[in-house]
Amino acid sequence: MTDTDAAVRLESITKRFPGVVANDEVDLTAERGTVHALLGENGAGKTTLMNVLYGLYQPTAGRIVVDGEERAFGSPRDAIDAGVGMIHQHFMLVDTMTVTENIALGNEPRKFGGLVVDHEAARRDVVELSERYGFDVDPDQRVEDVSVGVQQRVEILKALYRGADVLILDEPTAVLTPQEVEDLFAVLEELTDQGKTIIFITHKLGEAMHAADDITVLRDGKHVGSVAADETTRDELAELMVGREVVLEIEKPDVETGDEVLGVDSLTVTDERDVEAVSDVSFAVREGEVFGIAGVDGNGQAELIEAVTGLRTPETGSVTFEGESVTWDSRRDRIDAGMAYVPEDRQERGLVMEFDLVENGILGSQHADPFASGGRIDWGESRAHAEDIVDEYDVRPPDADAEAVSLSGGNQQKFVVGRELERDPRLVVATHPTRGVDVGSQEFIHDKLLDLRADGRGVLLVSSKLDEVRGLSDRLAVMHDGELMAVVDPDEVSEEQLGLLMAGEHPEEVPRADAVAPEEVEP
Amino acid sequence: MSASEKARSVFERIVTASGVERLLISLSALVLSILIGAVIILAAGRMADCGTAAYRLALPGSLITQFTGGSAVVSMGFCYDPIAVYDQLFLGALGDVVGNPTNSQFATTLAETTVLAFSGVAVAVAFRAGVFNIGAQGQLVVGALTTAVTLLFVAPVFGGLGVLGTIVVLPLGLLLGALGGGLYGALPGALKAYADANEVITTIMLNFVATAVALYLVNDASRFKDPESFANQTEVLPEFSRFPSLLFRARDDFSLVALGVAVLTLVGVWYLLTRTSFGYDLRTSGIQPEAAEYGGVDADRTIVSSMALSGALAGVGGAVYVLMVLGNFQTGIPSYGFDGITVSILAGNNPLGVGFAAFLFGVLKSGSIVVQVGSDVPPELVGVLRGLIILFVAMPEFFRMAGRRFDSLLPERDDQAAVATDGGVRNE
Repeated sequence: MTDTDAAVRLESITKRFPGVVANDEVDLTAERGTVHALLGENGAGKTTLMNVLYGLYQPTAGRIVVDGEERAFGSPRDAIDAGVGMIHQHFMLVDTMTVTENIALGNEPRKFGGLVVDHEAARRDVVELSERYGFDVDPDQRVEDVSVGVQQRVEILKALYRGADVLILDEPTAVLTPQEVEDLFAVLEELTDQGKTIIFITHKLGEAMHAADDITVLRDGKHVGSVAADETTRDELAELMVGREVVLEIEKPDVETGDEVLGVDSLTVTDERDVEAVSDVSFAVREGEVFGIAGVDGNGQAELIEAVTGLRTPETGSVTFEGESVTWDSRRDRIDAGMAYVPEDRQERGLVMEFDLVENGILGSQHADPFASGGRIDWGESRAHAEDIVDEYDVRPPDADAEAVSLSGGNQQKFVVGRELERDPRLVVATHPTRGVDVGSQEFIHDKLLDLRADGRGVLLVSSKLDEVRGLSDRLAVMHDGELMAVVDPDEVSEEQLGLLMAGEHPEEVPRADAVAPEEVEP
Repeated sequence: MSASEKARSVFERIVTASGVERLLISLSALVLSILIGAVIILAAGRMADCGTAAYRLALPGSLITQFTGGSAVVSMGFCYDPIAVYDQLFLGALGDVVGNPTNSQFATTLAETTVLAFSGVAVAVAFRAGVFNIGAQGQLVVGALTTAVTLLFVAPVFGGLGVLGTIVVLPLGLLLGALGGGLYGALPGALKAYADANEVITTIMLNFVATAVALYLVNDASRFKDPESFANQTEVLPEFSRFPSLLFRARDDFSLVALGVAVLTLVGVWYLLTRTSFGYDLRTSGIQPEAAEYGGVDADRTIVSSMALSGALAGVGGAVYVLMVLGNFQTGIPSYGFDGITVSILAGNNPLGVGFAAFLFGVLKSGSIVVQVGSDVPPELVGVLRGLIILFVAMPEFFRMAGRRFDSLLPERDDQAAVATDGGVRNE
């Protein structure tokens, strides 16, 4: 197959932001008339890559070839002119306008020498388009009156109306009901039958397998594989997404486990859109134990952790901390009780980007001893504390007065981890504690976590790095689609078994860890 | 580089400007506004009719003679002299400050500064917490009303105590203003926190409510209206319950004590924001609400308390206006609350900066009076010149604020994009 046959070819695309390489020499080839899935976890760089293709970002390096012709898109307008359209996750429709008006918006056909919008022509075009692709939309309905699935189709029509041959869909299924997802896939098939090319972004490997012809997998901004959907398996994809760098040997001494520090009982949590993200999950973390949660990102881990740490109110179920219910306790109460939390998103939650490290060092303890007394903050004490963290966790540059935003991602992470682990906590909830940090610092953070474990503290670890979560955990739970698939012994379980569990399948004879409560293992 | 990219990079430069750069930007904006103002004065001066020109501009003849043929130097007359206007506007506001520091122009300047310092810092506190309090005017009116009406009944009790009466009643008056304004500010705060009502809308609407209620209370003698007066106002408070004029003349309506209270308040708010746990919570909520929540800050409570504090500060401003300038409550209180928004923006929402911004406002306000008295320039034109200066000086800071608030909408802002390598969207 020659180059010109591909509808889109991205060659060695690199997109660098200060402190972050979002795309690192990524290749992607989407053949004409096919559905191409761009698969990866949150933060893998999928949307960035597509924003590059759509002209929202300019690549730091690399080539964009559309229809065999090299292109440089200065703006989405250029991309649209070249036949590339993008449907964002959040629709850009005017609720009070009709379907036709929305589709024609900005490209209305004119009459009388361009003075008047030709509504009739616009409506005709829309009807013609939707009939050609078998779309079931009423051109005269107001957008606010139609379902989300139809709104999405209106977005697709809008792109087609502007002459798109290549359609990029960003997480198109995230907002749809299961039935609407099926309808969408049917629409995509119709489009490709008629020669259109689809690239859709997803982190759900089932969808990629089901709807795509080819799949490109990204991990940490890097291209880790391109496979044909019918030549791959779910666990192969899961492994590609999550990765299994076996660079780390983790020495884990035996520790006597003690009382239960954290108890989670029948917890059900919904996300922002009121969709159930965590379904009836139960587990316990004991003193001197690292309890790991593995799974592909976006399977409810974030919501579960937020419910545990007090950032999200659960629907049902309870959370107990050191034997007492904290289900309804505020975030501050939980911090004060000794719950440290390394958040998933350090730049949004973990650090105040405009604050310097002195100020960031007391985030969460701004009311507590020794940093504050009588409502007054002791900035001298705070400075000493920040400097200690910078020193101990090798944060560079070693300058407590530096604003958080000026640090690289890895150093930001080290500072957050340092602040949380130095809290003298009873329990550490750590999500992706080593994300973005160098190997040396990874080991250091692992050792620190194991020190806490040896000291009789509990650790709840969520990581998408399989080797990390297996190496550190005493017991390992696998999460899929909001449920705990199983709690397994990380030393006994095989990679294949983990892969299947993460993909939502139940392999035979998984080596289960001795569960505290039997019902928490697989219903 | 496309036009939009260029605009964006200019915008970015403004948003990320350092302190010194911001000062330079403000100064050059001031100079630019004066230059443009001068052109407007000249143009207006050409259009106006006057017996003798106040200002003559000598142009090299060649410029004009090539069209008309005439003398080597042509002089063009204008009715208003821009140099004199700006001289009066800025220096007139200070009066003979060196020889006679208590002159009445300077007193007017400082009186304006004092009231604006309160309304400015009120708005600044709310902005720092990420809440857009457009209702400082209403809170100021309620504060003024509370103080005036309550003291009308309470002050006579302390009538015979002389200076001691002042020491008791004056702080009480300020406290009442704080209470009234604070409650009136907490109301939209609670509406935002617990009912998700946009504070911009509610505070604007509550401004009207405050004015209307105040009018109702003082427009009939059966309520609090002074029966002797034709105007809608309360009776005058006893002299001892008002701010003492100290070194200044009593009829200039200015008190150094009030200015002192204002300065202490600014320093106090600065201390609160930078040195206390509450200030830390407030600032964190304002800059990065997600991080504040992570750090254990109760978002709802912070909104209510910052709005209450903001309202209380505006309320004290109202109390000061009553106890220093008016001596009673009257309807039609000038728009100190709205000016406070500009003062706060001008100061970059920094409580200490509010002092300087309020002084600039005071200068312009008092200087305008001098210009109106001392020249033929019509008051409308003076208003234009004032507005021009404020607009120019405040705009860069306004863009900075807007930029911070909306920078998530700018996909090109790199450090922001680094936060969201995932397109800024949480995937489910």
